[in-house]
Amino acid sequence: MPHPSPDVEWGAGDASREPAGGAMPAHVYFHVPFCASKCSYCDFFSVEAGRAREQAARAYEALFEQWAGWVSRLGLRLATTAYVGGGTPTALGAARVAAFVATVRAEMCEAHDPEVTVEANPESLDEQTVAMLADAGATRVSLGVQAFHDDLLAVLGRPHDATRALNAARTVVSHGLELSVDLICGIPGQTLDMWRSSVHYAIETGARHVSVYPLSLESGTPLAAEVMLGRYRALDEDLVADMMLLARNLLEDAGLRRYEVANYAEPGRECRHNLAYWTGREYLGIGPSAHGMLRAETAREAGFVVPEGAARVRYAVAADLTQGFGEWPAMTVETLDAEQAAREDVMLGLRLAEGVALELVERAGLGVVVEGLVARGLLERTADRVRTTDRGWLLGNEVFGAVWTG
Amino acid sequence: MTDPALIRNFSIIAHIDHGKSTLADRVLELTHTIDEREMVEQVLDSMDIERERGITIKAQAVRVMYDGDDGRTYQLNLIDTPGHVDFTYEVSRSLAACEGVLLVVDAAQGVEAQTVANALMAMNADLEIIPVINKIDLPAADPERVRHEIEEALAIPADDAVLTSGKTGQGVRDALEAVVKRVPPPKGDPDAPLKALIFDSYFDTYRGVVALVRIVDGRVRKGDLVRMMATDTVTDVQEVGVRRPANTPVDELGVGEVGYLITGLKDPALVKVGDTVTAAKHGAAEPLPGYRDVKPMVYTGLYPIDGDQYPDLRDALDKLKLNDPALVYEPETSHALGFGFRVGFLGLLHMEVVKERLEREFGLDLLATAPSVEYHAYLTNGQMLEVHSPQDMPDPSRLDRIEEPYLKATILVPPDYVGPVMELADSRRATFKDMQYLSATTVEMHYEIPLSELIMDFFDQLKSRTKGYASLDYEFIGYRRSDLVKLDVLLAGKPVDALSFIVHKDKAYPRAKALTEKLKDIIPRQMFEVPIQAAIGGRIISRETVKAKRKDVLAKCYGGDITRKRKLLEKQKEGKKRMKNLGTVEVPQEAFMAILKVDEG
Repeated sequence: MPHPSPDVEWGAGDASREPAGGAMPAHVYFHVPFCASKCSYCDFFSVEAGRAREQAARAYEALFEQWAGWVSRLGLRLATTAYVGGGTPTALGAARVAAFVATVRAEMCEAHDPEVTVEANPESLDEQTVAMLADAGATRVSLGVQAFHDDLLAVLGRPHDATRALNAARTVVSHGLELSVDLICGIPGQTLDMWRSSVHYAIETGARHVSVYPLSLESGTPLAAEVMLGRYRALDEDLVADMMLLARNLLEDAGLRRYEVANYAEPGRECRHNLAYWTGREYLGIGPSAHGMLRAETAREAGFVVPEGAARVRYAVAADLTQGFGEWPAMTVETLDAEQAAREDVMLGLRLAEGVALELVERAGLGVVVEGLVARGLLERTADRVRTTDRGWLLGNEVFGAVWTG
Repeated sequence: MTDPALIRNFSIIAHIDHGKSTLADRVLELTHTIDEREMVEQVLDSMDIERERGITIKAQAVRVMYDGDDGRTYQLNLIDTPGHVDFTYEVSRSLAACEGVLLVVDAAQGVEAQTVANALMAMNADLEIIPVINKIDLPAADPERVRHEIEEALAIPADDAVLTSGKTGQGVRDALEAVVKRVPPPKGDPDAPLKALIFDSYFDTYRGVVALVRIVDGRVRKGDLVRMMATDTVTDVQEVGVRRPANTPVDELGVGEVGYLITGLKDPALVKVGDTVTAAKHGAAEPLPGYRDVKPMVYTGLYPIDGDQYPDLRDALDKLKLNDPALVYEPETSHALGFGFRVGFLGLLHMEVVKERLEREFGLDLLATAPSVEYHAYLTNGQMLEVHSPQDMPDPSRLDRIEEPYLKATILVPPDYVGPVMELADSRRATFKDMQYLSATTVEMHYEIPLSELIMDFFDQLKSRTKGYASLDYEFIGYRRSDLVKLDVLLAGKPVDALSFIVHKDKAYPRAKALTEKLKDIIPRQMFEVPIQAAIGGRIISRETVKAKRKDVLAKCYGGDITRKRKLLEKQKEGKKRMKNLGTVEVPQEAFMAILKVDEG
């Protein structure tokens, strides 16, 4: 399948390069808040599917309704990427997910070579499910593997083992779908050798897209509690930094280039949907706790009340099965003015390996701040762009914090 | 004026949390001094901090009228006293205004260190002591055991101890009957020159300093010209009244009565607790005994986190001092922290309360340095310096010797925990004096210990090593010579004066090591490596390093939740703001208190 060149398809924070047709978001995220079981480190909104069978059935209907609502308000003929995430969408049941994917795909812009990603976990991804997703029009599967090591999977409270993960990955590839593998480094008990082998296995699956996340212990999760109680030891952050560098080296040797803080891909196979988040593109969020971003004029068209002077609207759908569903769900809305939006674009654009255009930096009034970050060795300049150094990559919060909070 | 035969002046004394303030509430209800609809919990604890922490900081006096079983109406003056060892002198003056006390003991907890200390003070003041076993409604209440403890530990007959529950009100009338029957009425000479004991004072914005007094001899009326004997200050009385608990003017206060005098004075320092008020002309020849000039025991540096708040801090301290004459302060400058104040307190609780009030009532954001004591530095030229801050300690070459304040500490603990107490005391330069078994469940141990060791987290350590059973009381016994040195701390090679502290020579190494290790944990990793060194007179004796930060990045993608990422960055910035910038190093506030929390093991 041919892929559009990234240079044409996405540019840092430049909304004027939206596909023709303008005020219609080309990117849609669906949140399916159900999982087989809750992992010990997870603080996303999700509900155990086994306990909420009826709600899961209703949720599936509700996603259709919300989607249809947006389509009727905005006429989303031009959607180019869709991301069905969660949660574990496959926890809804293969038939439902497939039917849902087919419906979404039918509304998308075929001329723009749609990208349809479905998040999946190994325990609910069998041969039949993969086949159904492929038939329905999914193009990518993002597989939550996290580690190819049973002991570490147990620490994370994952409901699958390494064997199952490997098999699920191969199944995806064998059906001709793009495979992305998620890995986590910094798991209590993980050694550099364990990490090296997990990265090797990920490459071995044939995935041409890999995401590497350092574990973050979120307060309120069982894992954070266990670390606090001393049952597990959090890894030294120097070791985690070494793991991130090791993964970068191994993956780049395998031809997967780091294009974002946590994402690696064979050039041309970057996830276009995720790139939308970092490049100031509009996107819709549908389903409980989903997030969306719209330009003020789009938001007004969709029925939002947007104050004078606002340039950008961010909304979050209520993380609640009863309030988050329905055609016009409860949501919290935040607006940014043009200057804030520009700062945000620089902050997000600096997550990308290629960085942002100097012209955008100037427009955001961040020349001096960026100068300081260059002086501190966190950023470096190319001809007309600025991007993070290796140090700035690993110390991203210093960079993003300086850009956002000045 | 009331016939002294119908007056009873009494106080309620208790260990903290044994229910003193709740019992006082019930007394006010039962005597209809406050009706139920006005009732708030702990009426006499008027400050928020007092209510929240369940402690009494300011003394209070309230007059209640009680219809006794004998058909007569009595004027009872309840003097509520602070319940903490920091305020021992204030308590002693409150007790001097009484003829009796209700000694309240928790029916489950039994006798504790402050029960003993308070009972001893009441005995020394020759007061009638009525034991009250409170909280009998608790499931764990064991009044018989507690009765036994009171007799054994305090040698106070407890056969007729009153059983009460402040919660249900049970027994409260019995307690008041006991006050009427057993507390002697006040004695005094109505025709002698006025002698009134000041047992507390407060500042009223409109009317100036108001003194709470007990009339011993004579009488006082509005318009009388009076003299405060210790400060030799003459003023005319603007109003005389009693507290019910709102101020209620009366024509005069006579022998045995308790009330207030509006002095018209603007300077609280002229109206001292323990001083005697007499007539300006033909006054008493001798003041009442027991007056003492109160001196602070503990000093700390208070600095505004935001330097612009310095004038606000000064104003706030000036305002607090109006109602808290024990508070002393002088400007202090630190290279590390800028402009602030060296503030003296009666003790650690007093310090905490003042800091909390400054932050809460005046909206200040303060950084406190580790508390220190007043050292007496004797120079080779014979001169003596009072050193309140480690940074003011003279160079060793100019020093002949240093003396530090010592305390007599009394610890009450169950026999099973005697070992851990000994261990802790040994690690804190305490000298064991004696111990005695008060009962099968209580041992009383006596130590002499430097105050500087006691303020180093001693109480928390004592509590944790005895599973919370030990209780502590102490009194100042004098200055003693010690082999002390000043330890300096350097961050990234630069001395940080606010981290210096005085330590005994033998403890300098372990404490320096423990402190640098602790600081390494407290100071977050920064963009550059930060060496932490401890030094005595330029010689480095301990070193740790905070490694440079290598990884700090939010990698996870929350389905496009950018708001959350931004909020985290904003929080991160807020966190940095609360840190103190020392050169290039960002230091959290708790670093300045780290020395209190080190355990050299």
